[in-house]
Amino acid sequence: MTTLSETNAVDRRNDGGGASAPSPSVRRRRLSSPWRKRLEILLLAGPALVLFAAFVIFPVIIAAYYGFFSWAGYGPATDFVGLRNYTTILGDQAFRDALWHNIVIIVLSLLIQGPVALGLALLLNRKMRFQSAMRILIFIPYVISEVVVGTGWALILASGGALNSLLAKLHLESLQQDWLANPNIAIFTLMAIVTWKYIGFAVILFLAGMQGIPEELTEAAAIDGASYWQIQRRITVPLLAPTLRIWAFLSIIGSLQLFDLVYIIWGPYVAGTAGTSTMATYMVLSGRNAGSYGYGNAVAVVIFIVSLIIALTYQRLVLRRDNRDAVNGVPR
Amino acid sequence: MMRKKLMAATVGVAAGALVLSACSSGGGSTDNPSGGDTTKPVVMELWQNSTTGDGQAYWNKMAADFHTKYPNVTINVTSIQNEDMDGKLQTSLNTGDAPDIFMARGGGKLADIVKAGLVMDLTGKLDANTESTMKGALAAFTIDGKEYGVPTSVLPEGFFYSTDLFTAAGITDVPKTIDDLSADAAKLKSSGGGGIAVGAKDAWPAAHWYYQFALRECSQDTMNKSASTRTFDDDCWLRAGKDLEAFAATKPFNDGFLTTSAQQGAGSSAGLVANHKAGMELMGAWDPGVIASLTPDTQALKDLASFPFPEISGGQGTPGAMLGGADGYSCHVNAPPECVTFLDFVATKTNQEQYATAFKTIPASVDAQGVVTDPSLTNLLTAYNNAPYVMLWLDTLYGQNVGNALNVAVVNLLAGKGTPEDIVKAVNDAALKG
Repeated sequence: MTTLSETNAVDRRNDGGGASAPSPSVRRRRLSSPWRKRLEILLLAGPALVLFAAFVIFPVIIAAYYGFFSWAGYGPATDFVGLRNYTTILGDQAFRDALWHNIVIIVLSLLIQGPVALGLALLLNRKMRFQSAMRILIFIPYVISEVVVGTGWALILASGGALNSLLAKLHLESLQQDWLANPNIAIFTLMAIVTWKYIGFAVILFLAGMQGIPEELTEAAAIDGASYWQIQRRITVPLLAPTLRIWAFLSIIGSLQLFDLVYIIWGPYVAGTAGTSTMATYMVLSGRNAGSYGYGNAVAVVIFIVSLIIALTYQRLVLRRDNRDAVNGVPR
Repeated sequence: MMRKKLMAATVGVAAGALVLSACSSGGGSTDNPSGGDTTKPVVMELWQNSTTGDGQAYWNKMAADFHTKYPNVTINVTSIQNEDMDGKLQTSLNTGDAPDIFMARGGGKLADIVKAGLVMDLTGKLDANTESTMKGALAAFTIDGKEYGVPTSVLPEGFFYSTDLFTAAGITDVPKTIDDLSADAAKLKSSGGGGIAVGAKDAWPAAHWYYQFALRECSQDTMNKSASTRTFDDDCWLRAGKDLEAFAATKPFNDGFLTTSAQQGAGSSAGLVANHKAGMELMGAWDPGVIASLTPDTQALKDLASFPFPEISGGQGTPGAMLGGADGYSCHVNAPPECVTFLDFVATKTNQEQYATAFKTIPASVDAQGVVTDPSLTNLLTAYNNAPYVMLWLDTLYGQNVGNALNVAVVNLLAGKGTPEDIVKAVNDAALKG
């Protein structure tokens, strides 16, 4: 970087000097500079590009290829079926249910986690005792592995599990439920677990965003007589907007990919009947478990396209301003 | 990877072989596996699904015993968790880095691998003793008249129940009809015996209930025909679904059976039986071994007994017919000839007896079945030997794709989200996803 700007400086000086020929050393530098730049780009971006192509682009292409075959997974795929897999997927009620569940999870995640996390972040942003301890406690579930969380909650929420036993001990038998298998309840059980698990991430993100808001603004507002709530509403939240937008983006992507919690707690079979199946569990059920790898690959492609459309739309409509600011280096 | 290993082992063993041949010169050859060269070192990989205890020890012992008998052959035993087996095997078979000897369960699943040309045809290669003592069990590994595997155990299905809980519930005799079964489940529930455990989370244990009703409703011919057409055209398939629907309506299963797994931990269906939280479960003959591993002291459940699935009236299936499976082993198409020798070796009477003891199950070899004295298995073994015919698990018989669709549809029915008609439709539609 330093070298490049130095070179530019030299060039400008020479241009300013009119027709005088550049000195040999400058000429050498000028010639070498584009190559140097290319070499730098190659060195810095090369490894990442190779990995990206090998582990992202190539698998997508291969999945798209297998998606056109009926293939049991052994030997080369030979039974070409054209778009049959795709028409079957889109016509399958189980897939449409799974897609609907994904949408419900996206919407509920944003509606529940956003306000709750914002409230917690505002609370934890105030100077108080045990502030660090509380921050850690809220963040802990996010760090625990999904398998452990899933197994734990599955045991607690089983019909003969800890929660129902606790309700019985409290003489609240009327509140006992089959938390996992009842299709009217299961999706909300899932949302409760998802919220418990991922709220810490949102809180930490929001807190980091709040640290970036200059104290002078709030101090000035306070001097002008603004109340605490006025300050939060007019200063903190608006200035936190870029963080909120990024969090919402991450939350949407995470909801689209939700797999492990559902797979551990419900398994791919009962997830369908309990109303918690997602596109990913559908893929495992109808691809891997059925040994229909061609079909499974087609499902993967559909998930990819759905995610891509949502991600690009969000990028274009919501994140455009943030991205432009970041590229131009304009302070927000 | 395996090739590299083989090379390294070749160098190592060749050096050892030089020393050995110096000592044993003039000793003459003893056994000559399948006409192979007895001095040429051979290394084979074996994949089996027992990850703990006696089962794993059995395979290590077999490898060691085989090495003692044929010093030039070394077998590396790899334990793979049962639920991971299909996926890992699939990957390794596709990469060409497959194990030489691997576990197989016959039927449509094996047929898929055979179709891809990855399994060794054993027809005419097996020892006469293996052919004669395995008898009917070999049929599960026979595809289009050719043999592709050797069974190690036969696993007829029946109810495994706790005699203590039956007595406590006032049940004096094992149920002979479906009505008896419903009544007994109700008695068990009211006496705190938890009803009938079923691990519907894993789908197949719930689907076995449908298979059993289908076995009673459909003729042997109809069931075999569906194996090639892979469609459920006959009316009996619908009647089987209605039978199951009516039975499930009596609420005979354990609370929360939809989120109960089959074999993992104390909360699984096998765990509920092992801890006297449920009176019985419908399961294959491997169950005593699984239940034993889940009792508080990990010893066999003292009061475990078994009875076959009750009869129904008006079905087209021959009374006494049984549903079951067979565990066995196949050779990879490129495995050395010693693989066949090893399968024959495992099939001998002594080794089959050891297998039955280690896995607490019924050996495939008729000669070795005398070793089964466990009261929880003898009833089923008698029923098995008297059965007019034995049907393979339907999800194995009809292949993974149809089997999976069938299992999903049965779970939907039990969850109240599907109808008997949906089961038939799911099977007939499965070909589209194939």
